[in-house]
Amino acid sequence: MSRVEALRRFLVRRWKPIAAGAAALALLAASGGVLVAWSGLYSVAASKGHWLVIDRFLRFGMMNSVETHAPDVEPPPLDDADLIRLGAAHYYAGCAYCHGAPGLAMTPVAQHMLPAPPDLTSHVSLWTDQELFWLVKHGLKYTGMPGWPVQNRDDEVWAVVAFLRQMPDMTQQTYRDLALAEVEAEPQGGEEIARGNAPDAVSACARCHGDEAGPPKSELVPVLHGQPREMLENALRAYLSGERSSGIMQTAASGLSSDEVAELAVYYAGLEPPRRTIDTAALSGHGRELAESGDPARRIPACMSCHSESALPVYPRLAGQNARYIANRLKAWQAGQTARTDTAAIMVPIARLLTDDDIAAVSDYFSSLPQAGGAGR
Amino acid sequence: MKPPSSLPNTLPRPRSELAKLKAVWHLPSGWRTITAVNNTVVGYFYIATAFLFFLLAGILGLLIRTQLAVPENTFLSQDTYNQIFTMHGTVMMFLFAVPAVEAMGILLLPQMLGARDLPFPRLGAFAFWAYFVGGLVFFSTLFFGAAPSGGWFMYPPLTGMKFSPGIGADFWLLGIGFIEISAIAGAIEIIVGVLKTRAPGMTLTRMPVFAWTMLIFAGMIVFAFPAVILATILLELERAFGWPFFIPERGGDALLWQHLFWFFGHPEVYIIFLPAAGMVSMIVPTMAGVPLVGYRLIVVALIATGFFSFGLWVHHMFTTGIPARSLGFFSAASMAVAIPSGIQVFAWIATIASGRLKLTAASLFVLGFLFVFTLGGLTGVMVAMVPFDWQAHDTYFVVAHFHYVLFGGMVFPLFAAFYYWAPAFSRRQLSERLGKWAFWLIFIGFNTAFLPMHVTGLIGMPRRVYTYPAGLGWDTLNMVSTIGAFLVAAGVLVFLVDLVRNLRLTNTDSVGNVWNAGTLEWLPNHAFGTRSVPFVNSLYPIWSTRDLARDVERGGYFLPGTATGSRETIVTSAVNAEPQYVMRVSGPGWAHLSAAVFTAAFFLLLTAKLVIIAVACGILAIASIFIWMRQSDPAPAGKAAIGGGISLPTYMSGPMSHSWWAMVVLSLVAGALYLSYVFSYLYLWTVVPDVWPRPDSLPGLPVLAVSGLAASAVALWAADRCVRLGRRGAFIGLVAVGVVALIASLAADIWSQWHAGIRPDTSGYTAMVYANAVLQAQIVAAVFCMALFAAFRAATGRVDSLRRVAFDNLALFWLFALGQGALGLLLTHGFPRMAAAL
Amino acid sequence: MNVLDPAGPDAGRLAELSWILFIGGGAIFALVLAITFFAMQGSDRSRKRLSGNWLVWTGGIAFPVAVLTGLLVYGLLLMGAESRPAEPDLRVHVEGRQWWWRVSYEEPDGSRLESANEIRIPLGREVEFVLTSPDVIHSFWVPSLGGKLDMIPGRTNRLRLTADRPGVYRGQCAEYCGGPHALMALEVIAMPAGEFDAWRAQASSPVENAPARGGELFLATGCGSCHTVRGTSAAGTIGPDLSRLGERRQLAAARLPMSAENIARFITHGQDIKPGNLMPEFRFLTADETAAIASYLAELK
Repeated sequence: MSRVEALRRFLVRRWKPIAAGAAALALLAASGGVLVAWSGLYSVAASKGHWLVIDRFLRFGMMNSVETHAPDVEPPPLDDADLIRLGAAHYYAGCAYCHGAPGLAMTPVAQHMLPAPPDLTSHVSLWTDQELFWLVKHGLKYTGMPGWPVQNRDDEVWAVVAFLRQMPDMTQQTYRDLALAEVEAEPQGGEEIARGNAPDAVSACARCHGDEAGPPKSELVPVLHGQPREMLENALRAYLSGERSSGIMQTAASGLSSDEVAELAVYYAGLEPPRRTIDTAALSGHGRELAESGDPARRIPACMSCHSESALPVYPRLAGQNARYIANRLKAWQAGQTARTDTAAIMVPIARLLTDDDIAAVSDYFSSLPQAGGAGR
Repeated sequence: MKPPSSLPNTLPRPRSELAKLKAVWHLPSGWRTITAVNNTVVGYFYIATAFLFFLLAGILGLLIRTQLAVPENTFLSQDTYNQIFTMHGTVMMFLFAVPAVEAMGILLLPQMLGARDLPFPRLGAFAFWAYFVGGLVFFSTLFFGAAPSGGWFMYPPLTGMKFSPGIGADFWLLGIGFIEISAIAGAIEIIVGVLKTRAPGMTLTRMPVFAWTMLIFAGMIVFAFPAVILATILLELERAFGWPFFIPERGGDALLWQHLFWFFGHPEVYIIFLPAAGMVSMIVPTMAGVPLVGYRLIVVALIATGFFSFGLWVHHMFTTGIPARSLGFFSAASMAVAIPSGIQVFAWIATIASGRLKLTAASLFVLGFLFVFTLGGLTGVMVAMVPFDWQAHDTYFVVAHFHYVLFGGMVFPLFAAFYYWAPAFSRRQLSERLGKWAFWLIFIGFNTAFLPMHVTGLIGMPRRVYTYPAGLGWDTLNMVSTIGAFLVAAGVLVFLVDLVRNLRLTNTDSVGNVWNAGTLEWLPNHAFGTRSVPFVNSLYPIWSTRDLARDVERGGYFLPGTATGSRETIVTSAVNAEPQYVMRVSGPGWAHLSAAVFTAAFFLLLTAKLVIIAVACGILAIASIFIWMRQSDPAPAGKAAIGGGISLPTYMSGPMSHSWWAMVVLSLVAGALYLSYVFSYLYLWTVVPDVWPRPDSLPGLPVLAVSGLAASAVALWAADRCVRLGRRGAFIGLVAVGVVALIASLAADIWSQWHAGIRPDTSGYTAMVYANAVLQAQIVAAVFCMALFAAFRAATGRVDSLRRVAFDNLALFWLFALGQGALGLLLTHGFPRMAAAL
Repeated sequence: MNVLDPAGPDAGRLAELSWILFIGGGAIFALVLAITFFAMQGSDRSRKRLSGNWLVWTGGIAFPVAVLTGLLVYGLLLMGAESRPAEPDLRVHVEGRQWWWRVSYEEPDGSRLESANEIRIPLGREVEFVLTSPDVIHSFWVPSLGGKLDMIPGRTNRLRLTADRPGVYRGQCAEYCGGPHALMALEVIAMPAGEFDAWRAQASSPVENAPARGGELFLATGCGSCHTVRGTSAAGTIGPDLSRLGERRQLAAARLPMSAENIARFITHGQDIKPGNLMPEFRFLTADETAAIASYLAELK
């Protein structure tokens, strides 16, 4: 008691000099730091690597930072085949170069980054789903690991996480099937390899969206076959200008010239819509009600007014569209994605009026609705 | 009490007596000033903050006027304008008007009543700091575009989640609800102060009119504010959890809010006006040099206003389609309330006639008040005429009317009060020359701004419009109003210059009684009030007692020093002001300050949905309150001689003690809150009886809950016996059992409702059932904390048969909890059965 | 729109009441000022006379009690005059919405004639306005015709008005309803009963020969999901009925004068004209397309 009391008294009596001393020390340390940086004595060379203690310390800080910042959210089901396929396709384009992939070694250039990118096949298990999500979305400062190109497409980030979870046990063949789908690069001869004329599979739209041979393999990817040319062209231009945000599509569209955009739109507009098995149950009931009449009491207009065959070609047709894609789109808008294109400005407020039941019903309805032939639009 | 035949204490006084008094009441200096609790220091802070909000909200008013100066103006965007007019009204009403008059009460009352300080100095300081922090944060939402935009009366459904999904409405509900809690804390302080700490001899009929108005003011807060607190609780529950109190398609009713809001909102106008009228009743006699004519009539009029004002809330709802029969009643009541105001106006005129009015700056502001307020009163009678109101309601005519009543009825008197009372607290008087400039600018500017608005409204301009088309005849009138508003601003600026140049606040050497006034606040003043506590023999003791100031200052009257070595004031009986005991009041401290900051943080962080940090702050707030309370209730210290042969006890419990009175008032507040709930429940039933259940879908009779309450009551009774007998261990055990039984009773009731399949978000009815549980849970939580405190005090030997305030306070609130619990069970279980039988 | 310039008997009674109140109030105000003046500046004798309690009793109690009782009785009588049990000559349902007015006339055969933001009424016939709201509280107020009455979700209020002078009377929402509350106005057109009947007879039939291309574009753009044009597949009820848009004097709840140019501006830049209104902007339409739709709508008359 008396000791504590004595200490208390001491502190009360002497707090001013103590505080002044602490402030002086802090000032000294700060100016020392400035001096070191100014002198340029510290080497920023990546070739040498960090001193072991520093390395351990930085890792320690990084691990804790990720743990602290990882969001406290329930991930979507990650064993979802559509999600994994979408994630694989993006991993192929964006991540494999540095992190390697099933059956593919990391490039020497990437291995000489500081810190060297980890081989993910063995590192994924260190992190929880939420931590992986945070890492993929935000990247890591001072390491070369980039954040996701846009910050409002959590659905895309989750796709990569879903793929990462599967990757450690994946064979090279499965990986290629998932990431490249139909665009299987043919085995190449020496000359082609020498001249570098190998097809650039990274930017091939068909990897995800399909082509004459068939519709997208992942239900999360929109069917472009037979959509109006204007709408397709507008969409690509919106990705190019950043009005539409998607880490996947903005990356994919980034190299396209204006002419290529037009050509692509013509190509997909002219494709025959895929035939689908029709779920007649989904064609009646609430989904149809909403599509044809809307719900005026809740200010929900009829979908068909803008998404039918007779509507303006700036609007997408929804008949035969993937149900999961429709639902995902609507939910992304509900979750706060902003509307920066002229057409999204119309759709977003409507999407926000829908309940989960509404979304499920209209998505099923449209995916079951037979699409009219699209050639020549 | 008979007047003493000679001075109660012999002169001269020993020199050490004054030194000791000064030491005990020593003010903390430097940055520690914020720990001060003296009514003068807190009063200065309080008034300065309220005035700051007046300036801020005034600037918002100027922005509004700038936007409306010309048609189709684009100076402010629609959303910004909607936020600004909402904030202008809200800040003026809740952050300026009510706190400003409360501040005047805290500053003036002890001086005027001859007390050394208010009975709960730390409670007053707590109320101030909570208001200061909460108010500033609330105001700053404007800078983040997160301010509410639903208008100051926040009508749902517009303010429900569907139409106001943003965070602004939550800031309003939690922020304002919280600031009202602070206002209630101040009101409790004022009621107990006015009733229990008057100087000996100051019977109720010798009490200054200002003290009367503050008493009525505080009483009205106690009954009016709970209604709006309940409304904010219900709307916040609806917004946060979807309990549909105000959503008609889910068995709620939009008008329920309006009833609750105006049951508060109309008295609110008089809550603001009455103390201002009280100030006028102090200034006029001094400036005319004669006693007030019709003192008793004025007091009756004030009390009548207080009563009437609760009976006319519907006059804000004349256009909602309420049946004509009930409108007739409220129309009559609305007109009747004009009569007490008429009494006061003519009493002031008669006072002026009986003396000779000195035309000082203060007098000018009073005359300006008479002019403006009379006009506002007359237009008030007009809008009380139901058919006229059908046209005038929600137009600029009403905007003009209430600015005449509020600016005229409150701001003019407040400026008069600044000029009048400044010499009592400042080393320099305010400048008469600048004061007159300020007056004429404000007076002319005000009438230029608001007189045309009567016409603007009658030719069709609704209020709360951010713009208007040209060519409707509104253009010129609006431009004139805008010019007037800037003239008012110029006048306020002149006043600010005067403040900067001349106001030098002091606790020791104020200019003093320059007006030759007759009331006690003009005696020589110190941090401890007057040196000795005078005996009061009339309404104007300085006029009626020769050499009163000199004898008081030399220590010839009561309690010229400190009897127990701590801060003290004399407690007297409520009606006749007979000395009863010497009360020890608390001094500076940190605990109430951190309690205020953390309470504010709790509410504001909750709004910002930072729940975990909010809860942490809430716990810190409760911990601070515990530390604060630990220092209250000092042990009895024998008898104290205050002079004149009077020896008083230094400790009191039971109905004579100040804390008992405070707990009773607090219970009245809680009771008013609960009665508002009962009203809401029954009201909703009259509107949507269909959602009330048939008896077979109700839970069974609440046997468990009732037995819990009964067990708790028995434990309370037994605990009381243990205190008398001094059995400490049994006491703690009984308190624990009793509180557990209380909690169990509530839990059993909630469980039985849940078990019967009743969910709060189903309908207005089910929401009401759970709202009852929420209200009871609040009370039970308070009882739990108080019980913890009492048990702690008992365990450390600080509760016994004499020193029993900690338990008395608990017992009073415990009894209240039992009563409310029983009433709640009767309502939620009995009423649906009764209604079904009808 | 002026309370003191009534265009019907209901507003007339209220105007009369207003004048009585203003003149009476002015007189009382002058009296109080005069007494105050005498209390300050009068001779000592007159001041002494004013200084007693009697002044408080007469001025503060007796006088107001007498005046207020008179006023109250007068007010109750006026309110009595407002409650009329007989069936009205015409019933118009008006629904206040964020931020426009749905108008629907009860036809003699029980059907409804839909319109918006403009109400035509016959002179000399009593009209009952049935006032409701599906969203937040609004208030229906046409000063030249009578007092206001709130439109409250979950409730139905009824207001009876009669016009006896032909003209166009502006009304405005008088209860703050959020966002562009300031821009929610309407017009009441009082017309001779014969003209009204003739108008009503032809208004319910669809408009023939409106420009075809604009009509097709109107449908292809999806306008029909929110708006109705009688005789076409556009049958939306979320926004105002446009069947006879070209016939109305004003656009967007009396925000703009009616013209094809203004319709076109509203289609592409409605948020500039009426910020916060619930119709999205159709900026992707070409100027040509917009003009075609606008001229189609302007021809609907």
